[in-house]
Amino acid sequence: MKFKAFVTENGVSLLDRRFLPALDKMGKICHLFLTREHAFFLHNLLTTSDGIQSIAQFRKQALFDDYRISSQNEDRIAFAFDISLLLRAVRSSVSIISSESGGANRLQVKLVKKLPPNSTQPMPFLTFETKGYKSAVIQDVPISKPLSRDQLLQLQAALDAAQDLPQTLVQVPDLNRLQNFVDRMKHVGDLLNVSISKYGDLHLQISTTLITLGAEFRKLLVVGDKAQAPDEDRDLSAQTRSERAILMGDAQNVQVSVRHFSKSLQCHLAKPDCAFYGIAPQGACLTVIFQFFIPGTRQTDKSISLHCRLPVLDPGSS
Amino acid sequence: MSSSAIEADTSDLVCQLDNVQGIVDALSTVRWKRHQDAVVELSEHGVVLIVEETGCLQAKVYLQKELFIRYEYTAQGRPRFGLSLGLFVDCLNTFSVPGHSSTIEIRYPGPDMQLLIKSADSLDDCIYAEIRTRIPETISWDYNFEPAGSTPLSFTVKSAALKEAIDDLEWPGSSIQIILKPVPPSVTFRGEGHGDLQIDFMYYANTDLLIAFHCDHQVSYRYKYKFLRATTSNIPSSVTKDNRGSKLTIGRGGMLKVQHLVSVARPSTSHQHIDSAGYQQPSRIAYIEFFVKPEEDEDTVND
Repeated sequence: MKFKAFVTENGVSLLDRRFLPALDKMGKICHLFLTREHAFFLHNLLTTSDGIQSIAQFRKQALFDDYRISSQNEDRIAFAFDISLLLRAVRSSVSIISSESGGANRLQVKLVKKLPPNSTQPMPFLTFETKGYKSAVIQDVPISKPLSRDQLLQLQAALDAAQDLPQTLVQVPDLNRLQNFVDRMKHVGDLLNVSISKYGDLHLQISTTLITLGAEFRKLLVVGDKAQAPDEDRDLSAQTRSERAILMGDAQNVQVSVRHFSKSLQCHLAKPDCAFYGIAPQGACLTVIFQFFIPGTRQTDKSISLHCRLPVLDPGSS
Repeated sequence: MSSSAIEADTSDLVCQLDNVQGIVDALSTVRWKRHQDAVVELSEHGVVLIVEETGCLQAKVYLQKELFIRYEYTAQGRPRFGLSLGLFVDCLNTFSVPGHSSTIEIRYPGPDMQLLIKSADSLDDCIYAEIRTRIPETISWDYNFEPAGSTPLSFTVKSAALKEAIDDLEWPGSSIQIILKPVPPSVTFRGEGHGDLQIDFMYYANTDLLIAFHCDHQVSYRYKYKFLRATTSNIPSSVTKDNRGSKLTIGRGGMLKVQHLVSVARPSTSHQHIDSAGYQQPSRIAYIEFFVKPEEDEDTVND
């Protein structure tokens, strides 16, 4: 089992300033899944838990060059690690690269087995090596034992299952504002009802015995199945409008944890260019998809993708 | 929330305000613990919110109708209802967007006697809330505040200094003595408990802190620290930033009245919103009053 690559300048900045800070918010422990063509950062895919799943996928060229991988599992390697340690290692490598003038510095990453101090058992590490003209700095990030063949197949299956797209997706108008709102909403209750309609309506509501608090965003951009909003809907309240749309089969409704919803919005740290919410078929989960553009264009950068799946607490009406 | 035209006929009150954060600040000032029941009273003059603690401490927030950009009151009598203060504040807070002036509409009662709130800014985005109200409990103790004599016993101190002094007295804790002396004109806060701590405000020495002082004879009363602390623990940062003062008055029987002023002015959007006529917004202030009962204490000296 071997893995060795150089992290490109663009790769360093993607990880250091955008993706690792965002993924750090999703949970402490993350799986890195490396294949011949892709690198995935995965949260909560193996543990059949009630946590939020996040899937960040990079084509190898987006992060690395001189990428070499080999293993007996069709050249696939996966392991778990503490994301804050990885972030620290990348951060300090960045500071070394930028402090040494010359430009001959490259950040190499490789999988190694080493004998840690005061131990007789060799342990696996992901090692970051920065070589300059005058110095070299090596940082070892401890990782879990690489996944066994069975676990790897399980992870691959979970990853394949997590790729299904909702039929209707609506674009979130202003991520920061929505985040702000949801963070304040957290004080009022724990369960969030989310309904999404083919008309482009996103309706969020917390309802307890003492209070009902909701927000409705209308006329959002719809990707996938669309429908024309009925004219008589215009003067109705947000609640009635959602209920009618659900009855007519034009909307779906699920209940998720406010905490998860707020976490999913933290992905704005990865600086996506837009975000879409949708409900997976049969109300299996609430999906949020972040889109990244090729810098300076409005074209989707297909080498990077990020989406989260929020577990549904109550199947709702779907 | 059906069409507003229909409900306007049945609502006791429909009002709109354009500075949610200011109202959140004002209401938070009287939020000294997590679960607090409040009584709200509506009238043609405005809205009053009252909270109290077992007959020893009462606080009132006066939101005069001038603070609202629209205030339509049609009720007979003065409708009163009870609600959870914490929930009300947390709920209003979700309507406040930093760096945005958001307009909201408040309406009472809804079809099920709820308090209805909704954002009134945009047609395509809408935030709404319905808060369940209760039949209010009767106020357990009458906080009729009467002056102690012909001259009022009062002083005005910078709110920030008052808060700092009371925070410092946490260490001795338990019971705090407030002494007003005409000669030399001074106010003393004195705590005895785990050690002693005494904080003096001398009128002539600290005119920038102690702004006004009226006292013709020495008085001294003790107050429970936790009630005293409740009067300043949640003073909003806008009060200290505006460098405002708080007025403390001692009434008959040692009842202490603490008054704060909280600004509910529109957030300054000066560069985009200067009126051509040079019109300046009149200061919009919410009045906050606390009434603290003294400890019944045998060694209180009042001459």
